[in-house]
Amino acid sequence: MEAVKNAFDFGDMPRNELGLAAVVLAFLLSFPLMPHSSFGMATMIQFLMFSLYGMGWNLIGGYGGQVDLGKAQYVGIGAYTTAVMMIRWDVPFWFSMPVGMALAVGWSFIIGYPLFRLKGHYFAIATIATSLVLKDLFEVWNFVGGARGLEIPLKGDFPNWLYLQFREDYYYYYVILGMFLIGFIYMNGFRHSRLGYQLRAIKDNEHVARSLGIDVHWSKIKAYAVATAYVAMVGSFHACYNFNIEPEDTMSLDLSVLIAMMAMLGGAGSMWGPIIGAAILVPMKNYLGSWLGGQAGFAGIDLALYGMIIMFIAAAQPRGVYGIVEAMRARRR
Amino acid sequence: MEELGIQILKSLVSGLLMGLVFALVALGLTVIFGVMDIVNFAHGEFLMVGMYTTLLISPLLGVDPVLTLPLAGLVGAVLGVLCYFGLIRFLLRGPMIAQLFGTFGLMIFLRNLALLFMGSEPRIVHQGWLVGKSIVIGPGVVLESTKLAVAVLSLLSFAVVWWLINRTKVGKALTATSLDAEGARYMGISTELMNALAWAVGGASVGVAGGLLVNFWPVDPGVGLLFTMIAFATVALGGFGSVRGALVAGILIGLIVNLPPVWDAILRSIDAVGLRGLDIHSFKYTMVYAIYFLIMVLRPQGLFGWKQ
Amino acid sequence: MRKIALVAAIAMLAAMLVPAMAWAGPKEIKIGVIYPLTGPAAAAGRELRAGAELAADIANQVMPGINMDMAKNGGVKSLGGAKLTLIFKDHQGNPQLGADLAKKLILDDKVVGILGCYYSSVTKTVSAVCERYGVPMINGSSTSPTLTKRGFKWFWRTTPHDKWFTKDLFEFLVGLTKGKAKGVKAVPREEINTLAAACEKTEWGSNVAIEIKNFAKEYGFNLAANILYAAKSPDLSSEVQSLIAAKPGAMLFASYTSDALLMIKTLKSMKAKPKILWGQDAGFDKPEFVSLGDDIVGVLTRSVFLPSVVKMKPLSGQVNDLYVKKMGHDLDGASARAFTGLQTWVYVLEKAGSTEPKAIQAACNTISIPGNQLVVPWVGIKFSTKGDEIGQNVLGGGLIGQYQKQKDGKIGLEVVYPFDIATAPLVYPFQGY
Repeated sequence: MEAVKNAFDFGDMPRNELGLAAVVLAFLLSFPLMPHSSFGMATMIQFLMFSLYGMGWNLIGGYGGQVDLGKAQYVGIGAYTTAVMMIRWDVPFWFSMPVGMALAVGWSFIIGYPLFRLKGHYFAIATIATSLVLKDLFEVWNFVGGARGLEIPLKGDFPNWLYLQFREDYYYYYVILGMFLIGFIYMNGFRHSRLGYQLRAIKDNEHVARSLGIDVHWSKIKAYAVATAYVAMVGSFHACYNFNIEPEDTMSLDLSVLIAMMAMLGGAGSMWGPIIGAAILVPMKNYLGSWLGGQAGFAGIDLALYGMIIMFIAAAQPRGVYGIVEAMRARRR
Repeated sequence: MEELGIQILKSLVSGLLMGLVFALVALGLTVIFGVMDIVNFAHGEFLMVGMYTTLLISPLLGVDPVLTLPLAGLVGAVLGVLCYFGLIRFLLRGPMIAQLFGTFGLMIFLRNLALLFMGSEPRIVHQGWLVGKSIVIGPGVVLESTKLAVAVLSLLSFAVVWWLINRTKVGKALTATSLDAEGARYMGISTELMNALAWAVGGASVGVAGGLLVNFWPVDPGVGLLFTMIAFATVALGGFGSVRGALVAGILIGLIVNLPPVWDAILRSIDAVGLRGLDIHSFKYTMVYAIYFLIMVLRPQGLFGWKQ
Repeated sequence: MRKIALVAAIAMLAAMLVPAMAWAGPKEIKIGVIYPLTGPAAAAGRELRAGAELAADIANQVMPGINMDMAKNGGVKSLGGAKLTLIFKDHQGNPQLGADLAKKLILDDKVVGILGCYYSSVTKTVSAVCERYGVPMINGSSTSPTLTKRGFKWFWRTTPHDKWFTKDLFEFLVGLTKGKAKGVKAVPREEINTLAAACEKTEWGSNVAIEIKNFAKEYGFNLAANILYAAKSPDLSSEVQSLIAAKPGAMLFASYTSDALLMIKTLKSMKAKPKILWGQDAGFDKPEFVSLGDDIVGVLTRSVFLPSVVKMKPLSGQVNDLYVKKMGHDLDGASARAFTGLQTWVYVLEKAGSTEPKAIQAACNTISIPGNQLVVPWVGIKFSTKGDEIGQNVLGGGLIGQYQKQKDGKIGLEVVYPFDIATAPLVYPFQGY
């Protein structure tokens, strides 16, 4: 009961932030009703997916201060579980998604135990290592299609809610929006939970946290498991939305880095950070890239610009865009 | 059995050469980390810049690619110092997350700038003293001349850096800064100057490495990442900031990636029908990461690391 | 600061909310073309785009110098002389982006059909989108065998795929032992009976590796090494050591561009001496590869179109002249297949006489384009409608080319297989390093 109350307790948020949240929510709910291009719709779906990925990253990376560069392995586990169960045993999405989350969380416990003996850069690079090892194994594992990947066969009758197969994108949009809202509310609860406070204490000072009686190692592993569940959930959705998965696009280092980037750009350690980061980078990636790269023939200039923005933000405000907002607010006061 | 023996010899030789190549690429990374606790994700892009420098300058001046090495080193050093004063100095104020993030940005920026100006197609050096030559030293044991040159340069660079750090005044100042920047400042050692020096040395070493590597390796804007991933594993395995560790870890990784031919020779010599066709080549980097992970779990500070 | 953010947000929204253009002119047929115009395959993308554009130009105008039906009509005759408009999109090698662009073309641009996408992985996701929306897609240049094994109703492929190409290789090897190759006496089987293959380990290469393994078994060759390697690898010396240790007569590769360069350099440094060195197109058919110069004389690569085809097919020469005028160089495998892909679209529309998807589907399933209409040296184009391959052109064929030093001292590809259309005698054995 306490947890549910916490989840819906937005009392500590500034009033104008809540107002903004209400506007954003209204926009998100009504977006498919407004006139839009299909590319805009695809961009919105990706924005929601990356917001959720970022929330997962933020849980351990932002609140816990442990820089994780291996999130893609959990995207892969979620996506592959759903795809394999759907193809081989005809299991509906709503059943395979929790299984995928459970498997991913199980794997996160297995590697989390040794991983969290490492700190700082050692931890970051070790997460890359585990993700790459898993990807390499998937690339030769014939049961999951090896490097050739898996393709989910079309069931034919649209819309198919059980197997999450739709012709129009707005069905997918509302599914991922539902996940987004649940994820957001859960995240709010997490902030106020015992584990949430413990994690922030650990981030501030591990020794002090330990002397307060917090089991540092175990707290990190638990938070890591929660973060994993977020990422694996979206991974399952990705498999159904894309119909086709390969180790190269679900488990690559690029994806891990992109996830971390968005959360860091928006502001690690804040509720809004990952959402802001995804809201900036996803449209930029989709629109700037096709305008400058495809049409004007300046391949690379979009990403060079993107690199410059990242460098600027990192140098100007270590806490990302949300940090800039907070700093401005503090100055006004 | 004889074939197996020769194969082990061959793998040792090429593993050693490749290991020294990896170590040289990692050297700059570990020097920079040792002084200021920063992992430079753009390190591979410095290598790429060094490669392009030699590729473009050598036909322009009409000299052999090997002779442009000092220039490649200079470009690397200047780039390092520029990055330090333009970006890294500001990042140092923030937490580790911001530092990672900032050097990520630098990586993306440099890579795509290269894409914009050089295009995505890989380029090669066509002519030079080292291009396309190799030395035969035994039954089937061949030394590729570029790799040999890089290996020699690698040993030389490690010797110079070791000498610089352990035998000179500047080196003592660098060590003092890395141990306790504030304390060193009270002793009159400028942290700024030391940091910039570390970036210059790091940039120069990887710039020279790039200038030499381009005699054998094709260069394209994404080439950095191939080497960066290995360089990270090398530095972390050896222990961040440890020069000796980078050398040992580099060689270790070089040997690991040259294991598969030995495995194939073993399969052939014992004629294991059940195992035939079990190809471990596609796992050679998997093995590197797996061994890295195992060593880290047993020794969280790396083989020779003293900083946690 | 806040105002700027607000303006930026509104601009972003406006961009996403731009209403779909629902207008389509009666005299215009829109075809969406998705190719990698930027990214790692940008160079190939330029060729693909130019090939498709040239085909559209020939179809839209009356060109008396070209012996092709579509050059005489000035538009699609059965649709009242309607002209083709190509809408190009850039997938950058990213399957997800490809799928999004396909939706954009179908829903916003209201295209009649889609042509693309070069990368098999992108073709896979794009064709899945087309299948869902019931929009026809013709693929001219993706060679993964799995694409036509999915039973799709809206997907047709003109190019032969990797299984055919690999079969060609084995036919070539067997022919070599029987003395069928131009200018070479029958080679004793033992000399080339042992094979060693190295394929890059993503979707394309690992598929090729499987095909090589299956055909080696079928044709009775001894595949002594079948290695998968990472294309983005800083070192290939361990792979090359294993290849050499297998003592093969023929070395077979499936490589992308930069790893193909590194592979040849490593083979050279390790003094590899195979009798035959064969590559499965891709990296072995790029200008950068040709720049290796003398080191690749004698190397074989499979292809569907080589500049020397011009010598034996007048029509190819006519189209090639136009292409040279446009781009400054000859047609290659990428541009010729893109040309053929769009050409197929024109013939299909001509036959359908309608832009209704159902009519196009029926036209695709029954069409038969004779070989004398095509630039590529195929028997023709006819799509299979049953069996385990749906939508695959059954009349296509591959070539094997060999890099040879030509009279002007340049390195160029000559056709050496099929044996009956060889343009130059085969150089055998490979020089070795």
